[in-house]
Amino acid sequence: MTELGLRLAVSFVQILAEMSIVMFTVAVMTLAERKVLGWMQDRMGPMEVGPYGILQPLADGVKLFFKEDIVPAGANKAMFALAPMLTMVVSMIGFAVIPFGPDMTLDIGGLTIKPFVVADINIGILYILAIASIGAYGIILGGWSSNSKYSLLGGLRSAAQVISYELNVGLAIVGVLLLSGSLSLVEITEAQAGGFWHWFVWGARPDGFFPIHTQVFAFVVFVIAGVAETNRIPFDLPEAESELVAGFFTEYSGMKFAFFVSAEYASMVLVSCVAAALFLGGWNAPYPGTIFEYIGFQQLAWIEHIVWFAAKVYFFLFMFIWLRATLPRLRYDQLMRFGWKVLLPIALANIIITALTVYFFPRG
Amino acid sequence: MKALLDNLKAQFPDAILATRVDAARAETSVSVAAARLLDIARYLHDAPEAAFDHLTDICSVDYPEDQMRFEVVYHLHSLPLQQRLRLKARIAEEDPAIASVTGIWKGANFLEREVYDMMGIRFSGHPDLRRILLPEDYAEGYPLRKDFPAEGRGWRSQFDFIPRFDEAPMDVVESEISEETKDTFRTEPGTPGPGRKEELLLNMGPQHPSTHGVLRVVLMLDGERVVKATPDLGYLHRGVEKLAEGLTYMQMIPHTDRLDYVCAMSNNYAYVRAVEKLLEITVPIRAEYVRTIVAEMQRIIGHLFWLGTQALDIGAMTVFFWTFREREVLLDMFEKLCGARLTLNYYRIGGVDSDFTPELVQRMRAFLDIFPEKVKEYDSLIASNRIWLGRTKNVALLSAEDAINFGCTGPVLRGSGVAYDIRKAEPYGVYDKVEWEVPVGKNGDTYDRYWIRMEEMRQSARIIAQCLDQLPEGPIMAEAPQYIPPPKELVMRDMESLIHHFIIYTQGIKPPKAETYCSTEAPKGELGFFIVSDGSPRPYRLKIRSPSFVHMGAFDHMARGYLISDVITIFGTYDVVMGECDR
Repeated sequence: MTELGLRLAVSFVQILAEMSIVMFTVAVMTLAERKVLGWMQDRMGPMEVGPYGILQPLADGVKLFFKEDIVPAGANKAMFALAPMLTMVVSMIGFAVIPFGPDMTLDIGGLTIKPFVVADINIGILYILAIASIGAYGIILGGWSSNSKYSLLGGLRSAAQVISYELNVGLAIVGVLLLSGSLSLVEITEAQAGGFWHWFVWGARPDGFFPIHTQVFAFVVFVIAGVAETNRIPFDLPEAESELVAGFFTEYSGMKFAFFVSAEYASMVLVSCVAAALFLGGWNAPYPGTIFEYIGFQQLAWIEHIVWFAAKVYFFLFMFIWLRATLPRLRYDQLMRFGWKVLLPIALANIIITALTVYFFPRG
Repeated sequence: MKALLDNLKAQFPDAILATRVDAARAETSVSVAAARLLDIARYLHDAPEAAFDHLTDICSVDYPEDQMRFEVVYHLHSLPLQQRLRLKARIAEEDPAIASVTGIWKGANFLEREVYDMMGIRFSGHPDLRRILLPEDYAEGYPLRKDFPAEGRGWRSQFDFIPRFDEAPMDVVESEISEETKDTFRTEPGTPGPGRKEELLLNMGPQHPSTHGVLRVVLMLDGERVVKATPDLGYLHRGVEKLAEGLTYMQMIPHTDRLDYVCAMSNNYAYVRAVEKLLEITVPIRAEYVRTIVAEMQRIIGHLFWLGTQALDIGAMTVFFWTFREREVLLDMFEKLCGARLTLNYYRIGGVDSDFTPELVQRMRAFLDIFPEKVKEYDSLIASNRIWLGRTKNVALLSAEDAINFGCTGPVLRGSGVAYDIRKAEPYGVYDKVEWEVPVGKNGDTYDRYWIRMEEMRQSARIIAQCLDQLPEGPIMAEAPQYIPPPKELVMRDMESLIHHFIIYTQGIKPPKAETYCSTEAPKGELGFFIVSDGSPRPYRLKIRSPSFVHMGAFDHMARGYLISDVITIFGTYDVVMGECDR
């Protein structure tokens, strides 16, 4: 086998594995959302399919797959079909640069590969920002091509929302980049090793405990903007069901609808992964080193790393659901005011303060 | 009142045709010449000794035998002086027209449209005289006229309701509505105008997740801002008023359940009170207590339902499930009380159907113990939530003057700072025997109306608790053999009672020849029944003054300048139920 062929095969396996993990998480999320909401609202959630309703995602998938695919009269058919695909693809390929395990290398047939990150490119975070911006196109196209006023309004709202909050996401990240000195997610995560006080949300210097470079404000801005980016309550204006019926995907049905919904969950997972990697130390445990290492199973330490990464991601996902159970929806003008007048100044101030502290108290 | 009538006669000697004071029912009616109606109305509105600032209802009665066939009845109410007056004007059959009073009371807009729709009386000077409840191209006539058969004209299958795609398009039925007006209701305007149109026309409803039933509103939008909002009612119109003319007084009770189906017994209460006022019977004291308790439970249910849906409209999902949890407890009690959960039917003319059992009283007390905690729980989610405050404060402002002028009642009026509650102003039941307060808002925004309803739930709990403590023993049906059937046990054993029962149920009860208006404070506002009796067992005319319908008249005024999201909030803040609105 040639080297290129081997490289492709390995990449393909990696992509397949990563995709299955993400799709599995999405399926878990659709169930978890309903179960957790039910628990918070004094009800049971789905109980019919399988024990305690755990096969509900499967049933939903089968149902959506076999549903008639309706294209509204007067819709732009090509765009109408393209929009859900675009949204889905974009929210999946973002995962390529997420390191969900430690920076290990394996030797397969003379090739050095990293098993826990599909592509360790040195501009990982820029790549994610770029991809996330394309995601807005799917929504806008879907809203516009449906030939429905509700969809159009949803699409317009989404355009404005994504642009305003994209900015906040980008600015909130700058502080982290100043601290780590790298755009690669792997290197950013590695810079936070050695205990939770080194996570960028607290920002202790590598040789100390004092959280002088804390990014806690950037973290809050990032999480809020992340919720807005994924169109979740309280920022779910593009699909506000009590106002715009279902917003930009009002006219979608069957698999196209399923694409939009899974894409939304996938972007939630992506935002959670990025937040975990940037602010909460990614795969690093909240204590120095790992327990496996301590008791002498160094070769199994990666399991512990992955568990910690997953725990952080699921914490964020739980928070998404928790928010949905608690908060009402913002109004369009309030959303804009909040983004531009509250989040943006905080993010800008954070950049200036971080730059100053990094200049006067350099990191090691 | 006497001084006012003298004043009126002095002011308009030729126009006041007759005055009638019904001392037993405490009602005054004045017949005036239709030609001078506008002047008299303006005098009654403006003069400080009259101050009839609130137009409760406009109704029409058809007397086909009379030379002046139609009678238009205006129910006026003076909030500062706490008096009511009925103004009546007769008009002839050919070209029935009368001056519109929309210039005096803005709330007359929808009420006059309804009279036009149902009776075919034209109101000259009305800004927008179109059919309101029936379809615009309804060509079968005016249904509330006596010559319109009660069973309707023809069957539905004979009407071409839905044009089929394989047929040529139907000719549009000619009507007096101008093409320009019709364009408002078309999704795609007939001919595209020259140049670009800046406004977007958005059709909201009747199928929309949050229009509270089958309400339809055509919104003209500038971006997301509402330029004009046109409510289109009538999707749930069932012709209850026409139906009532063919039913005996007792048979009508179940039909009132279906008005405001969220709190059905409040409507029962309003109706049986009106009939009792007509028959002049008094209800035993225990029955009064039971009625008050049940009415307040209905108010709690209505407000719980409202809170859940209003929060859901604004996006807070959990409140809905929490309020329905408590609603479920109450519904279980109603099931115990009368066997039904939704279209409850418990009030009877002269009393109530069955007595409380000790177990039920126990359950009510248990509920009252937990209920204040539960209300706090809802508050913990929204009352101090910044997003909730942002979505409700200063949204859909309604000033006190406008609220009165539009004829608003109930929490909508009290939210604007007018302390008017029929339970205090004209006490019925045992509301004057218990201690409670009327919550009043300050700004007239959505938040104030939210706060008032929350407070009313607490007050209702307070009323129920006191009533349960005071609950006396005694009969639960009035003694009035000519109107009230004997108890079932007697009917089964006693021959005379069986005959008595048989006569009342086959012939119906025959009230005296009179007319009366009786208003009740339903959870949505003032629910009034106007009954014209000709001495027969069936009402000659029954008019329902529904608060939701009157409130919808103020919708455009409240929605203009706000965003789409606020339109949804306004639906919620009215607490509109279409069953009651469309009747």
